[in-house]
Amino acid sequence: MEQTVNYSADGATAYNFAYLDEQTKRMIRRALLKAVAIPAYQVPFAGREMPMPYGWGTGGVQVTAAVIGPNDTLKVIDQGADDTTNAVSIRQFFAKTANVATTEKTTEASIIQTRHRIPEKELREDQVLVYQVPIPEPLRFLEPRETETRKMHALEEYGLMHVKLYEDIARHGHIATTYAYPVMVDDRYVMDPSPTPKFDNPKMNDMAALQLFGAGREKRIYALPPYTKVKSLDFEDHPFEVQTWKDECGMCGAHDSYLDEVILDDQGNRMFVCSDTDYCTERQEAGHRGPQHHDQPLGNAAREKAAE
Amino acid sequence: MTLQSQTSELLPGFEHTAFDSNAVFRVLLDALSRPGRIYDLPVSVATPDGLNATTTATLLAMADMDTTIWLSPSCKTKAANDHLKFHCGCPISDDVVMADFAVARMDDDLSFVSRLSVGNAEYPDQSATLILMVDEISNAPAMKLTGPGIKDSHDLEIKNLPASFHVWRAENHHLFPCGVDVIFTSPTQIVALSRTTRIEVI
Repeated sequence: MEQTVNYSADGATAYNFAYLDEQTKRMIRRALLKAVAIPAYQVPFAGREMPMPYGWGTGGVQVTAAVIGPNDTLKVIDQGADDTTNAVSIRQFFAKTANVATTEKTTEASIIQTRHRIPEKELREDQVLVYQVPIPEPLRFLEPRETETRKMHALEEYGLMHVKLYEDIARHGHIATTYAYPVMVDDRYVMDPSPTPKFDNPKMNDMAALQLFGAGREKRIYALPPYTKVKSLDFEDHPFEVQTWKDECGMCGAHDSYLDEVILDDQGNRMFVCSDTDYCTERQEAGHRGPQHHDQPLGNAAREKAAE
Repeated sequence: MTLQSQTSELLPGFEHTAFDSNAVFRVLLDALSRPGRIYDLPVSVATPDGLNATTTATLLAMADMDTTIWLSPSCKTKAANDHLKFHCGCPISDDVVMADFAVARMDDDLSFVSRLSVGNAEYPDQSATLILMVDEISNAPAMKLTGPGIKDSHDLEIKNLPASFHVWRAENHHLFPCGVDVIFTSPTQIVALSRTTRIEVI
């Protein structure tokens, strides 16, 4: 038997602008104002159920919904890429519920929602970067009790975090934390920069754009105002350093961007490619070529032969 | 009949709630994340006696049944009271200690500011925000501001700012992370001082 489901002809009008109701947005907005006034302090907020599961960016989506206006242009990235499921569905969510323009270009966006990367291109004053945060509390794996971590932040008691980094050195000979690398903000609060690779930590320091962090499951919001001092924790004899690669991007040949390793087959062949797809595309359009680009005359094997 | 005569005196709120409150919030967010930078009020709103347009818009955008408002005696007109009660549905308290947002004029007796809630060390966000109505804001070099949100430094002048304000503000700054954030509202412009902002009076 044939069954039909009648959707309302104009479904989007059944929602308030940007999905959340006005009272919820006001509550989030008040939390955001406190968050920028106390950089890196985690403001509790009454996080709502969103039409997507926890872990898919419900915190970031709620922050974006509270901030976004009809004239904004939204870009969403997931690990630097605009075209992954998470990024595409969040972009469509706001295109539908807020009717805003969306873009994949970093320079065109006024709001960039991100899952664990900061775009390679330097952000401007008129841009807002919204992070999706899974676990906002940097001390959580060291101290599971919220009452205790609150107290530790209140008393600026961060010795335990340094012990953790020291244990890394004792065990591995270097600080082995490569993502969610803790930072000290304005010499006061230790903050989890969300699971961004530590490669991105230096970009947070003194950034011209406003940075907002939303954790949906944990119901916390925190922020970094522009031009705020953000220092990665380290030791005098083991200074903080970012990842480097011997390879270049296989597509655009970039040496200065964060590279993802892509396994090509089961023979051990692999390539490295920019994690930031917009940055890579723009470089390719400008004529930059890496060894694995499809119109590169020298394939990997040919290039190695030429090198011999 | 009485109901009709009451509501007919009411002024309208935002023309479009979602868009206007968003526009005002964005200005407040920018103002608090870039202390000392002056922003224009992005919307026009009807203003009840006792408040100015910027203050009215700020409260319409931010206040609701979850926020207690305190109005200084010179702001607490019947029109202001009715306007906020009707459009925001917010409790209006006579006890300044209860206030989430405290509203006053620059020429009021400002001794109440020391009684505003500053939050506590574990929850410094449970603090009040002070909205001070002023005549004129400019970038003249009367104060030099530094701190998070400010590249190098910003100059700011608030006309007729009393010396006692700076004494209170200096104490307030020492309480960090506790403290009160201040929003100055002229009839058309907004500028904010976050609790992190360091002020050097020139």
